[in-house]
Amino acid sequence: MITTATADPIGRPLPALCVDLSPHANNTGVTSADNLSGGAFNIWANTYPREELPAPGRGIVLGSVPFRFPAPAADGSDNVRCTGQLVALPPGRYDWIYLLAAAERRTEDIVHLHFADGTSDPEWLRVSDFWPETPGRFGERESIRCAVLHYPRHVQPRMGPVIWRERVPVPREDTLVAMRLPDNPAVHLFAATLLAGSPLAGPPLAGAGEPSQATTGEQR
Amino acid sequence: MRTVIAGVRPWRHDLAGCLHACAATLLRHAGVAPLEVLGSAWRFEYESGDFRREEYYFPGRPGESLLQSLAPYHPLRSSWHLPADPDQGWAQVRQQVAAGQPVAVAVDNFHLPFRPAYQDVHSNHLLIVYGFDDERGVVRVLDAVPPRFDGEITVGQLTAARGSGNQAAHERDLFFADQRIDHRWLQAHVDPDSALVLNRDTVRDVLRRNLDGFAAPSGTTTYSGLAGQAAFLRDIARRLADGEPVTDELFVVAGAVLAVTALHADWLGLAGQALGDHALVETSRHVERVAHHWSAVRILAALTRTGDVSVDRLRRRFRALMAAHEATLTELDDLVVTW
Repeated sequence: MITTATADPIGRPLPALCVDLSPHANNTGVTSADNLSGGAFNIWANTYPREELPAPGRGIVLGSVPFRFPAPAADGSDNVRCTGQLVALPPGRYDWIYLLAAAERRTEDIVHLHFADGTSDPEWLRVSDFWPETPGRFGERESIRCAVLHYPRHVQPRMGPVIWRERVPVPREDTLVAMRLPDNPAVHLFAATLLAGSPLAGPPLAGAGEPSQATTGEQR
Repeated sequence: MRTVIAGVRPWRHDLAGCLHACAATLLRHAGVAPLEVLGSAWRFEYESGDFRREEYYFPGRPGESLLQSLAPYHPLRSSWHLPADPDQGWAQVRQQVAAGQPVAVAVDNFHLPFRPAYQDVHSNHLLIVYGFDDERGVVRVLDAVPPRFDGEITVGQLTAARGSGNQAAHERDLFFADQRIDHRWLQAHVDPDSALVLNRDTVRDVLRRNLDGFAAPSGTTTYSGLAGQAAFLRDIARRLADGEPVTDELFVVAGAVLAVTALHADWLGLAGQALGDHALVETSRHVERVAHHWSAVRILAALTRTGDVSVDRLRRRFRALMAAHEATLTELDDLVVTW
């Protein structure tokens, strides 16, 4: 677990915890140009270009929220395709779960939040399509926009897939301990960060690692 | 001769494919707003075993034309033309375009240089032809599906794509291969005066027709209405459990139902805003939620091919989808009753 900090709209520091999703990684969504067939983010075996994404394991700041971009596991998996996994979280009081996510066609589903007292609340997770030339539907931020899309046998120019920054609210003012992901394989998660309070909505903040070149896509 | 038809513009919906994109472009060219026409009907009609491996397959009632099945409440119709050979195939399309009428042609993406599938994957696709230059031997095409292309290719390239046998050659020729194309092209018959005026009476009429359609009993050979949709999903799960290959059928049908559900959600939202009716806008969001279930079903369907999705997982999603759909219909019914 990585502890870092961001700030609220008047500059007060906010605790932020980057959650390690690697124990749940079950899909390879990123490949390098010399290993195009090494993954299959979607059912067509397309993948994001490694060359355009933050370095594996690197801290990045996207819209004032720090994330840890995933490093591939030994089997190459680097993201979580949602199949109903229960993700343990560092117990704490949080207001938001921020996610780097993408979907194979836009979709929405329920995330079940679990609290220390044994209670559970369903909350919506909404993710727009990762496919190029497709705007976000849910008012989320376009966090990382690539210029090309990898196909198993070639690199396709003019096809820029996106990773969205989504957020799930934690309305219950109690100690959050876990979240149950939906069984919806159209939804993929790359990274998660727990945040108490509301972050500054402006440009990226320094402090959680250098923003990569890929973090310039704040436009909607 | 050379010509480029004016007023041919791209249209795309993120949960629909090339069929709705082409239909919308043809409607717009005729002066008819696409969403008002393509989003009004919400129904389930599928003749058992009817699906074809085409990106532009759309399930409808027996005897309906393709575009009629997209917009059954409007005087929109279409005719497939099956030319005898490549020369006739181009001559027929050229004649239409020369007369100022854009047409939709079936193609195999494998032969189109602007498609990512070029020389890689066979996929039975639909695009718009709306210009040509005889002297230069080029044709003007519009493809709104990413990467959007609005430009020229040679007549030879288009002819190769239209005449493709579309035969699957490797494991990534998925879902839309092995369906001959045979230079087919689609002619739309659009009544320019068919635009639907969104007022309380017309919207109520559409909602009533949709509700009545879902409430009607399913046919014997056609899955229709809500009961038919439930039966289709139940039968797909049973066939999968029996070891039948249902992946392509479920994927193709789910993609079409996803599109029509999502478009209807947008139509309801449009109507709700036009009427200043917040309840209708809220209900549109619940229809959209049903569409998002179909997004999940589509991917679950694809993953049944590799055994990554069990029958139980599929059934759980089907149950959730049906419950959401049923609740949304009840909500719509309540709404109509109060009007």
